[in-house]
Amino acid sequence: MNTKISSDFKPDAVVVGGGIAGLQSALDMADQDLKVLVVERNASIGGHMIALSKVFPTLDCASCITTPKMSAAAHHENIQILTNTEVQAIESGDGVHRVKLLQKPTYVNFDKCIGCRLCEYACDTEFRDRFEEGLGAVRAIAVPFTNAIPQKAVLDAEHCLTCGTCARVCPTDAIEFDQKPRRLTIETQAVIVASGFELNSVTLKPQYNAARSQNVIAPMTLERLLAPHGPYGRVLRPSDGKIPGSVAFVQCAGSRDESIGVSYCSRVCCMYAIKQAMLLSGALPLADITIYYMDIRAFGKGYEQFFQNAKAMGINFVRGKVARIDPLQGGDLRLHVETTEDAENPMQERVHDLVVLAQGMIPGWNPAQISPVACATDGFVATPSLTAPTATTAPGIFTAGTAAGPKDIVDTIAEAGAAAMQACQYLYQKREAALVG
Amino acid sequence: MARTVNTQLLGKIKRHGSGGRLDVSACFNCGNCVAVCPLAEDAAGFPRRMIRMAQVGMEKELLASEDLWLCYACGECTQTCPRQADPASFMAAARSYAIAQYDFTGLSGLANRSAWGNLMVFALFSGIFSLLLAAKHRAGAPDAPLFGFLPGEWIHSIGVALFVLVGLSAALGLLSMYLHVRAEQVRKGHVLRFSALPGALLSAISDALMHTRFQNCNAVEEMQASSAEPWYKRTWAAHAAVMGGFLAMLIATTLDYLLKPIGSPVMPWYPMRLLGALGGLVCLYGLAIVLSRRWRAEEVPWRRSSFADWFFPLLLAGTVLTGLVTEIAVYAPMGEVGHAVFFAHVVLAMDLVAMLPLTKFAHVLYRTMALTLAGWRRAPATEAAADAHA
Repeated sequence: MNTKISSDFKPDAVVVGGGIAGLQSALDMADQDLKVLVVERNASIGGHMIALSKVFPTLDCASCITTPKMSAAAHHENIQILTNTEVQAIESGDGVHRVKLLQKPTYVNFDKCIGCRLCEYACDTEFRDRFEEGLGAVRAIAVPFTNAIPQKAVLDAEHCLTCGTCARVCPTDAIEFDQKPRRLTIETQAVIVASGFELNSVTLKPQYNAARSQNVIAPMTLERLLAPHGPYGRVLRPSDGKIPGSVAFVQCAGSRDESIGVSYCSRVCCMYAIKQAMLLSGALPLADITIYYMDIRAFGKGYEQFFQNAKAMGINFVRGKVARIDPLQGGDLRLHVETTEDAENPMQERVHDLVVLAQGMIPGWNPAQISPVACATDGFVATPSLTAPTATTAPGIFTAGTAAGPKDIVDTIAEAGAAAMQACQYLYQKREAALVG
Repeated sequence: MARTVNTQLLGKIKRHGSGGRLDVSACFNCGNCVAVCPLAEDAAGFPRRMIRMAQVGMEKELLASEDLWLCYACGECTQTCPRQADPASFMAAARSYAIAQYDFTGLSGLANRSAWGNLMVFALFSGIFSLLLAAKHRAGAPDAPLFGFLPGEWIHSIGVALFVLVGLSAALGLLSMYLHVRAEQVRKGHVLRFSALPGALLSAISDALMHTRFQNCNAVEEMQASSAEPWYKRTWAAHAAVMGGFLAMLIATTLDYLLKPIGSPVMPWYPMRLLGALGGLVCLYGLAIVLSRRWRAEEVPWRRSSFADWFFPLLLAGTVLTGLVTEIAVYAPMGEVGHAVFFAHVVLAMDLVAMLPLTKFAHVLYRTMALTLAGWRRAPATEAAADAHA
């Protein structure tokens, strides 16, 4: 546990969330010589982006962009990072925000842990690795993933058998089975909410039968299958390890659908489906890849070209909303869809080996009840001002990235910079006012 | 060929059934409803295609689509519609609109658009039949047998006249539907062989009787709360009970009329009597399921009920109940109460027949016609002919 940070620490700004938005905001503010505290609820910073294989439309390696940012933030003299820590409340008054934090026990003293992983190698207990979307296994005490920051072991109390093996092999006596949750309140002048997104469940629509077939997968699962350092190192379908010969992407499976409560567009699914289809055609040159879509929303810089390239590569685009997915004997899946290609036979039933459901983006954190920040009707942080798009309803609290609504990485990073700029401006105006006063 | 667009079409359809409460304009034509439908076959494309026709005002095409009648309102499309545009209720409203359009009297439009209109038409027919019957009733003799109170010959004379008029009206409605469908077939260049017609008609009737397609609509029920319910509580079974019971009563009444001297006393186990009584009970069982589901309004297809949705099953239930009480009154005379119930039964039964081409009841005509036409169009000989034409 990082004990260096106590309630005496008074940073200029607190950033809620250590994903790509939070890290970019923190770095931009820290470079302006402001002291920043980044609060991350997971064991490592990096957010969703560090788990991606590649990013659209450049097909750059996601790790190669995220890891340097993570590292830069971790080593910046003006940035402090608290992982395994949740924001429980933000109380604002007199221009000061009191951020109430709950630091959860990791059962490893971070001041002592040197990240040697001897505990991980010695541990006997394994369970499904959430970072690998359940495809691989992880030990009950482990560094969260290869390029995690901080590179410190974290013990999973839910699965640990408390056999004591890790404590015996640890060369620095860092294991502390008696750690307790720690509460601390940080006073700060400005807050940036960069709490990101979650994806809604693939089992939301019972017609898609994701609960009945392992081969109906989430897009993050495919990201891990495609990642060079992923669980299998290649693309295999989960049920039987077969190399898929035919892969379907079902778009709008979790968004633009009022029957599951998400009426808005998640804005990234078209593009990541195209990207994953391109990567798949590289990984599985013989596979047929079909994207079932209602309309392709390729609105960003270079996106339309990216879409056209995918078509030229031979990826099939079929207009139609998939209504039902039936699991077949042997693990294949039959899709029911009304297409517009063949006017005489619009009703089609097509069989695929593997189906990827484009899930919807939903807010990762709801600050509405516990802070002065209001949320819009869709649940994302409300940004009422057209001319200050990162300002929330609370003065001195800003927002960036997918906390404010679904958006892609490019827009997230641009918005994170804007939020940092607005926060700096706010802080400097306050300082000036204090000097004049 | 030029197409005429009726810009008022969607608004007109929304005035039917529970249409006023549905937001079918929200539909963005994704086709989920078609793909999820357990009944949509090959080129059917319903309900999406029908919604599109309504949105862009293709009235002729809408009135020419047999597909409108191939839907049994299981509600799966509404359950899964991404825009919650309620396609199932739209289909019901469009069918109601079609019934009104095929009907030349204009009474159907009045009855299907509002509760007041429905009650006015009901009151009109009830008034006519009551006056006609009252003209020859014999009051003041509470102990008289039922046919002593209302002369059987008079009831039958009115009945025969009514059947002729309703038959004519139904035939004109069916002709209107056929002409719409035919015009569209000519436009599309479909060539149909008459040799395929009897087969199509037979399979339509057998499908209607056996509920073959209706049973495919189980998907939604299985997914919803009623999955735990046994088959005899499913929608198709309830419909089969109502229809079977009704047919039994219809056959019993007709045979009674043809084979038995009017008013001659028979024992309760006389086959026609028995058939009628059993039919009435089975029909009531089905109606009880239907009405209780509508009342609970828990599952999708029963959630939005218009007055017309309530009216038809209630009218039928009223007819059957008064009929059963009359049946008892035959063997255990009830005096004036018996007479009143008998009078009400005759009036309600005549209302039921008179309103057949006007209410939901008209689906008996148009669904059978649509199934026949669809079967005819899809007959193998037809496709070959169409290919030759192309």
